[in-house]
Amino acid sequence: MPAISPKDFAPPPAGPSAALREQVRRLERAHSVQRAGRSAIPLGIPEIDALLPEGGLLTGALHEIEAGPTPSGRVAPHDGPALGFAAHMLGRFEHGTILWCRQPAIGGDVLPYAPALSAWFDPARIVMVTARREEDLFWAMEEGLRTPGIAAVLGETRASDLTAGRRLSLAAEKSSIPAMLLRAQPAPPQSICTTRWRVTSAPSPEVPGIEMLGAARWQVELRRNRFGAPSVDEMPAWLLEWNDETNHLAVVPQARDGSSGTVRRERLAG
Amino acid sequence: MRLADANTLIPRLVTTPTEPDADRALVEQIASWCDRYTPWVAIDPLGAALADPDAKMICSAGGYGGDAGLLLDVTGCGHLYGQGEAGEHALMADLVQRLSRHDFTCRAAMADTAGAAWALARYGEKQADLFCPHNGQRDALAPLPVDGLRLDPSTLERFLKLGLRRIGDLYSIPRAPLSRRFGDLPLSRLDQALGRLAEPIEPRRPPPLFRSRISFAEPIGRGEDIAAATDRLILALCRQFEQASVGARKLELALYRVDGSVDRTAIGTSRPNRDTPKLLKLFEEKLGTLDPGFGVELMILSAPEVEEWTGAQDSLPETGTPTKFSWHEDGTIDLADRLASRLGAENVVRLAPHDSHLPHRVQVAVPFATAVPEGAWARLASMKGARPTRLLQRPEEITVTAAIPDDPPRQFQWHRHTHKVVRVEGPERIADEWWHPRPAGKTAAANIVPPVRDYYRVEDNDGARFWLFRDGMVNTAKWYLHGFCA
Repeated sequence: MPAISPKDFAPPPAGPSAALREQVRRLERAHSVQRAGRSAIPLGIPEIDALLPEGGLLTGALHEIEAGPTPSGRVAPHDGPALGFAAHMLGRFEHGTILWCRQPAIGGDVLPYAPALSAWFDPARIVMVTARREEDLFWAMEEGLRTPGIAAVLGETRASDLTAGRRLSLAAEKSSIPAMLLRAQPAPPQSICTTRWRVTSAPSPEVPGIEMLGAARWQVELRRNRFGAPSVDEMPAWLLEWNDETNHLAVVPQARDGSSGTVRRERLAG
Repeated sequence: MRLADANTLIPRLVTTPTEPDADRALVEQIASWCDRYTPWVAIDPLGAALADPDAKMICSAGGYGGDAGLLLDVTGCGHLYGQGEAGEHALMADLVQRLSRHDFTCRAAMADTAGAAWALARYGEKQADLFCPHNGQRDALAPLPVDGLRLDPSTLERFLKLGLRRIGDLYSIPRAPLSRRFGDLPLSRLDQALGRLAEPIEPRRPPPLFRSRISFAEPIGRGEDIAAATDRLILALCRQFEQASVGARKLELALYRVDGSVDRTAIGTSRPNRDTPKLLKLFEEKLGTLDPGFGVELMILSAPEVEEWTGAQDSLPETGTPTKFSWHEDGTIDLADRLASRLGAENVVRLAPHDSHLPHRVQVAVPFATAVPEGAWARLASMKGARPTRLLQRPEEITVTAAIPDDPPRQFQWHRHTHKVVRVEGPERIADEWWHPRPAGKTAAANIVPPVRDYYRVEDNDGARFWLFRDGMVNTAKWYLHGFCA
């Protein structure tokens, strides 16, 4: 009986399978990234841009932003922070029309509020499209992705449709216009998207003696990062702070926690 | 005669109640069917007067039901059926034949004036008389009874007492005594009938300036055929546009089905457009909703709204990606038109600032074609920090606990969950626009503005931020949730 040596538990040497994986990876890149001209717009947050392919948000790709559950595990009461983060992304695309597609909520409708959005971009650039049915929403987004004058297409929906996601992704690749999906609730992890972000509100900075609201803080997790640089963390996450006076979004230095801004979190299901 | 009397006389009398609405609907339907001959179709206004019980002007004949009338201005339409007068004859014959095929008994008469045609259609005796040649209305009307003048029954009765039985009898009477005795109406009716006084026909639908039509020898029903016909219609219409140097803002396609009903669909564009492929693309979304029924025998494409052509050339070569925001060349307008034609124009909008300090009035949705100047929102940018990223269209009432009534909330209940308030910013007092009167007896529940609102931005124990306000005075205050902050 052969003795079990510690070698048997070591990771397999870089053999054919690793080469194959690398080949698949290159094929994927050739299919998606290279055809889109590998253009990306940096988010303006160096810590995050370093992990993203081409140093920013790929233009011809589908990005998903979802509102994460609260720290106590409940469904987020609202997607205000996710909307803010999406608006920050939209604001990075400086020219052209922003096509904003949404489904009206049953009961009272909750519209994005332009005075707040004007922090990130000129709300006059928005064309707001309301579609009652999911298929109309995805159709409107796809039509937008085929129009050269559009800077970015954002869709607000709860629907997660793999086929629709793939179609959006392909349309975005073809025209190099970014497509974004904003979700008020986390969607199933199966998706074709290039990046997926989960944004949760975080408490204001603690300032002893002052109980006023501070700058808005968001916990942002990069849950999926196709073609991106590998990270030390399984799922990199940052605590961002939005300075509404300088219109600046930056990672909060967390010297007190001992880490350099990256917060290690448990990997959630998916 | 009363119904009881009639039943006594004929015991087996079959009676049905009158249905003025159904009559009206049917006449409307026939009128819209008549659009195939001319865009200038009107329902005889005297008929409408009869149907209305309070009508001042009652005419001797006409009215919905029994003898409702339609007025068609077919000036310049006869050529579709033949040359000159023969064409007009053929048009009339076609109209009567098609209507009788649908089991309607009808009489059509054609004359230079609406009044003459009205009289001939109702009182003309010989079939040959019904077509009145050019300038022949004086002779044609002379033998007709005075009832053909569209007068009220009491005037007609007095005419008969005086022995004025035929319209021709009035020709020789001096005008002054006639008008002194009977008022102006008989004379003006006579002048209208003879063409001395203009009588405009007011069409049911405003007649479009541009239209093109296509009729089929055999009714068509397949979607591809309808699409192909639409393509040809658009091409023909665009040629007319080019000659007139205009572009369409609205197009309407009407399908005339073999069973006499009409199906219509319309598209709108955000700027004058005469690009055939683009217009066809807009129609593609709509064609699916059209129902050809048992077949379509005629299609008419009309442009109810046109505007002066502003575009440069009809076909521009593809210029790469535009570097700057140019609404005209980057295809955004065409995109908006396409979206609007499928989703409805009210669902494709832009956001414009509105001069108000009330948060819910600041943002208004305007039609896509409205220009919102770049930087129009800059004035409002100063308040963005204090404003939520989402605003509830209807503020939701919440239950709030505060230490003392005037205090900011300690916790609030919304959607059956209690949010503990950790941090507060406020209040920001926003007063009502006192120059707009507040509807009496209503609370702030719906879209009604309270006199004073105290807004607070609060953060709950999860870090989620909300925008709340207290409505009204401290003792009777109610709390509402109005927005979600970033």
